[in-house]
Amino acid sequence: MNTETIFTKLTGIFHDVFDDESIVVTAQLTATDVDEWDSLSHIRLVLAIEKKFGLKFSAAEVGRLKNVGEFVSMIQAKAA
Amino acid sequence: MTMPEAKNILLGALAEGLQATVDFSVTAQEMQKFAELSGDFNPLHTDATFARNKGFKGVVVYGALLVAKISQLIGMQLPGRNSVWASVSLDFRNPLYVDQPAQVEGVVTMVSDSTGMAELMLTVRAAGKVLAKGTAGVIVGR
Repeated sequence: MNTETIFTKLTGIFHDVFDDESIVVTAQLTATDVDEWDSLSHIRLVLAIEKKFGLKFSAAEVGRLKNVGEFVSMIQAKAA
Repeated sequence: MTMPEAKNILLGALAEGLQATVDFSVTAQEMQKFAELSGDFNPLHTDATFARNKGFKGVVVYGALLVAKISQLIGMQLPGRNSVWASVSLDFRNPLYVDQPAQVEGVVTMVSDSTGMAELMLTVRAAGKVLAKGTAGVIVGR
């Protein structure tokens, strides 16, 4: 799966989870950039990503991620 | 009042396919208590003649009381004490009547290690009929 496709799918997920169509999903995006990104919405976000891509992550894998770019890399590695 | 003890199934012990059931029936007294608690005195739930005139066999049990039994299922059995609901969705398909034996079943359909969430498929049945179907998202202790 190419990076552009992943970002397109992630953008839809972010807009739905945070109910905010103005969020621009970039590789540098982090939780501090989105007001509503708290622990509960984080759970909904990761769960939505797992469902959308048909993947499973461990708590340790997700805990290590520093930004959306690293999430995209993990999705690519697991989907390969 | 002695409180029953809740089970304690932690995330690592939850697996897809794990299930639990709660058998129940709702009494006229419980219907009265819920009417007072909720302030919902819709005659469909309180007046048998009115309910029969609407095509039902008697007063219809409040849907929220089915949800209450789902609360028992999740809070006491699957997964039990170290869990909290994050979501619930339920479609009501057929009525439940007062004193009619019924059963709510929960089956684990997804366990997410990354989020500590589990999803349950919920089914409420009585007399061989599905009364309600839905899902619940539950945050589970590790």
